[in-house]
Amino acid sequence: MNRWLNHRTLPLLATFGVLVILYGVASMRYEGFFTGRVMANLFADNAVLGICAIGMTFVILSGGIDLSIGSVVAFTAVLVASLVGPGGWHPVPAMGLAIVLGGLFGLGQGWLIHYFALPPFLVTLGGMFFARGMAFVVTKESVGIHHSFYDMLLSMHLGLGGRATLPATALIFLLVLVVAVGVSHFTTFGRNVYALGGNPESARLMGLPVAGTRVGVYALNGVCSALAGVVNTLYTGSGNPAMGMGLELDAIAAVVIGGTLLAGGVGFVEGTLLGVLIFGTIHSALLFDGRLNSWWLRIAIGTLLLLFILLQKEITRRATAQARPGT
Amino acid sequence: MSGSTPNKTEPAARRDGGASVPAGRARDAAWRRVLWPLLSLGVLLLFNLFFAPGFFHLEIKDGHLYGTLVDILNQGSKTMLLAIGMTLVIASGGVDLSVGSIMAIAGAAAAILVTQAAWPFLLVVGVCLALCALIGAGNGALVALLGMQPIVATLILMVAGRGVAMLLTDGQIITFDRPAFVFLGNGHFLGVPFTATIVATVLALTTLLTRRTAVGLFLEATGDNETASRFCGVPTRAIKVLVYAFSGTCAGVAGLIAASNIKAADPSRVGEMMELDAIFAVVVGGTALTGGRFTLAGSVIGALLIQTLTTTMYNLGMPPAIAPVPKAVVVVLACLLQSDKLRSGLRIRRTRGGAA
Amino acid sequence: MKHTSSPRRILAAGACALAALLLAGCGPSSESSGPGGQGDSGQGKVLLIGFAQVGAESAWRTAETRSIMEEAVKRGLDLNFADAQGKQENQIKAVRLFIAQGVDAIILAPVVETGWEPVLQEAKRAGIPVVLVDRGIKVADESLFATLIASDFVAEGRMAAEWLATKTGGTASIVELQGTPGAAPAIDRKKGFADALTSGMKIIASQSGDFRRTGGKEVMEALLKVHPNLTAVYAHNDDMALGAIQALEEAGKKPGTDVLVVSIDGVKDAFEAMVAGKLNGTVECNPLLGPLALDAVLKAVQGETLPKRTIVPDRLFTMDMAAAELPNRKY
Repeated sequence: MNRWLNHRTLPLLATFGVLVILYGVASMRYEGFFTGRVMANLFADNAVLGICAIGMTFVILSGGIDLSIGSVVAFTAVLVASLVGPGGWHPVPAMGLAIVLGGLFGLGQGWLIHYFALPPFLVTLGGMFFARGMAFVVTKESVGIHHSFYDMLLSMHLGLGGRATLPATALIFLLVLVVAVGVSHFTTFGRNVYALGGNPESARLMGLPVAGTRVGVYALNGVCSALAGVVNTLYTGSGNPAMGMGLELDAIAAVVIGGTLLAGGVGFVEGTLLGVLIFGTIHSALLFDGRLNSWWLRIAIGTLLLLFILLQKEITRRATAQARPGT
Repeated sequence: MSGSTPNKTEPAARRDGGASVPAGRARDAAWRRVLWPLLSLGVLLLFNLFFAPGFFHLEIKDGHLYGTLVDILNQGSKTMLLAIGMTLVIASGGVDLSVGSIMAIAGAAAAILVTQAAWPFLLVVGVCLALCALIGAGNGALVALLGMQPIVATLILMVAGRGVAMLLTDGQIITFDRPAFVFLGNGHFLGVPFTATIVATVLALTTLLTRRTAVGLFLEATGDNETASRFCGVPTRAIKVLVYAFSGTCAGVAGLIAASNIKAADPSRVGEMMELDAIFAVVVGGTALTGGRFTLAGSVIGALLIQTLTTTMYNLGMPPAIAPVPKAVVVVLACLLQSDKLRSGLRIRRTRGGAA
Repeated sequence: MKHTSSPRRILAAGACALAALLLAGCGPSSESSGPGGQGDSGQGKVLLIGFAQVGAESAWRTAETRSIMEEAVKRGLDLNFADAQGKQENQIKAVRLFIAQGVDAIILAPVVETGWEPVLQEAKRAGIPVVLVDRGIKVADESLFATLIASDFVAEGRMAAEWLATKTGGTASIVELQGTPGAAPAIDRKKGFADALTSGMKIIASQSGDFRRTGGKEVMEALLKVHPNLTAVYAHNDDMALGAIQALEEAGKKPGTDVLVVSIDGVKDAFEAMVAGKLNGTVECNPLLGPLALDAVLKAVQGETLPKRTIVPDRLFTMDMAAAELPNRKY
């Protein structure tokens, strides 16, 4: 097949098609859905999930998994909130510290996973418990943030014409996305991640820095989760230790819907963006409907997840079968 | 009960890092796997002996045993049941994240059948367990027949299942009074809580199923090397569907007990996070997440360990929100202990050449 | 893989069809599909209101939701309901969506006290009044919301303490079962109770049962081992009290007589427990806020300034009043 339409990009295009169909149907059904404002909101409201999912993409591409991100987001959020509020710090060093800690935490997990050959599922499960507990140690209740720096950040808007604007949260999300796309496509690190996920043994035999890549991927994810925590403090103007429960599973869902295989080595960061947007569109559509109770929301999301995955499997299967005739 | 098959010769190269060992040594290796969780449990109990007055205090009240130890047994019964089901799923090389939601469905369905349909209790139990087995088999079908990754397949049910449970109860908490149902989670049999009897029965049945029939052997083979097993004629797909159905049934029993405990079905919150506790119990108990050999006894001990940890923290007055921190330490320590690399690193002096 | 190609193809086709059907068939088509015009809420147009609720975690909560929804139908208003499943992020998302939809007013039951400034500022900029129900928030600028309609949780705690003081003659060893950490009702009920205690009454243990029956039962079980000589239990809500009652019975104690149990909310199950002699008292916390909330909404939309707090009065019900009152309980 040609360069743009092969079995790797086809799932991505399929996901894009699904997003368009979904958004289209919702726009036809609900007046006011097809506006710049709603589209801009998709980025702003899902910024936390989006940044986490982008970090998770790298981890999954490398063949691992990270269950701790929800707790790390909560921990960084309460840390920043506690430092700025009761602690009296200026937000910038507080955010910087939080991000560094997140990176170190991820680094620690990556180190345990690589040097002791421990299963990532369990190490990050332990990390999840640990970070959540520490978040509650920092504070038992949510802490509000009142600082002029935050007010300034919150007043930053990129106007898109009409009533659509992109607030700071959405801008940070887009920035992270651009950086991630750059790293995954144009750096050695990105290539190493794909190689590691594709076949760790081959990667090692080829002389690629497996240790550095694996540890680096978890450290990167830690940084992303911490950044998402900071963005969360912008979104809510506070830090709540109980937030983010189940965020890791939402991120995994977004990554998988985006076409990345959990086994590793296959997928694109762009796909994750589409996955997050699909997630957000479903959620927004159900909210727009205004009649569904919370349980229908869960059933709908579960069903749609199932359908999208089956759809993608089918498309990949067909594409691979065509690429290898006579199988 | 442990992962030994005394009548089979071991294959030469084993994934969990031992050279071929004759049957007797295999049993020793199995005992050693259960040793660590037992030791950890012992350490925890010892800690309570010194620092928690009255922890071991037992008395007879109303004709049954009463004390903190009894509470641990009673409250840990749900995790133990989930862990038993989860052991088989993990042994097949998968994982089941949906057990919490299945618990919710079971509790909701039972509460409704008992209050609104007024069916006899045994019929209700039968119907609920059959329903859960069916749901679990659905998971298994997604994994085995459609080739989905287990995390994703069971994640779907984890999300949607709770919605289904809330749909059944229309979002309400349904209370009930049926004596038989209440007895399930709160009654006592021969002086110990009835839940302990349930767990013992399920454990015995599962051990019989896996060790006295070919199922256990097929399961370990499937988890160890699915392709090779399939070529050998092992019905890998049927085995996978079976273990997910079984996990679903165990979750169903746990859900009935959870509902019986508070004489109500609480679909929005019951079983929350319990799937992670179950996985934790299985891993700490000695079964590797990659699949293959498994130990049911280890998982039960792992579940007891978690419950003892939680109860210890309640007794010490620590807010339950902080409870995850020691759990995290235990998980990582358990993994480290199981890690081949660490063990081979520590065994450099031994020259048997048994390391991977 | 090759031998299941045909069923898979059908499956994929069915998947697409189902997805389309699901979206098309979502909900009944009798009500208007979506909001009316954006921002042009002129005279004679049906008002659209967005209601962001905490979740559906208890009978009390569902009663509150039903009350508001029924009242909206009664008054011919369009209500968009959003259930946050207990998460603040979802509530913020819902409110921002309501703003994007151009609703005429927003009703919000905030799940936690902090973190609302950014989104309420957006609502203010869009000119949409926000009415808070059931729980308060901590904001520096009170103009961000039109009014708060809630019970006085501090008063509820105080009523419970005062009743306990009269009943026990001023001496008691009390075990307190708290609500969800960080939730306004939990914080205030704790404060109100503690402030009204007399010198002979001591809280010997206090832990969170998370407002749930299971939590109440498990915490009570554990605390009974450490403090077997308690004389009273104060639970921040009825669900926890009912769980605690079970734990007390299983420990061989008689709730209601050996150990006094008082709680807050006033749900039907609590009244039944009082009739059975197991619960001593409950402070009513009325969830039927529909009429008051929608009154406030209509006034706010007209541009009237409202008092910042509209307090819903509560009453204490004791065991002897239970049987007579039971048939009146609507939730």
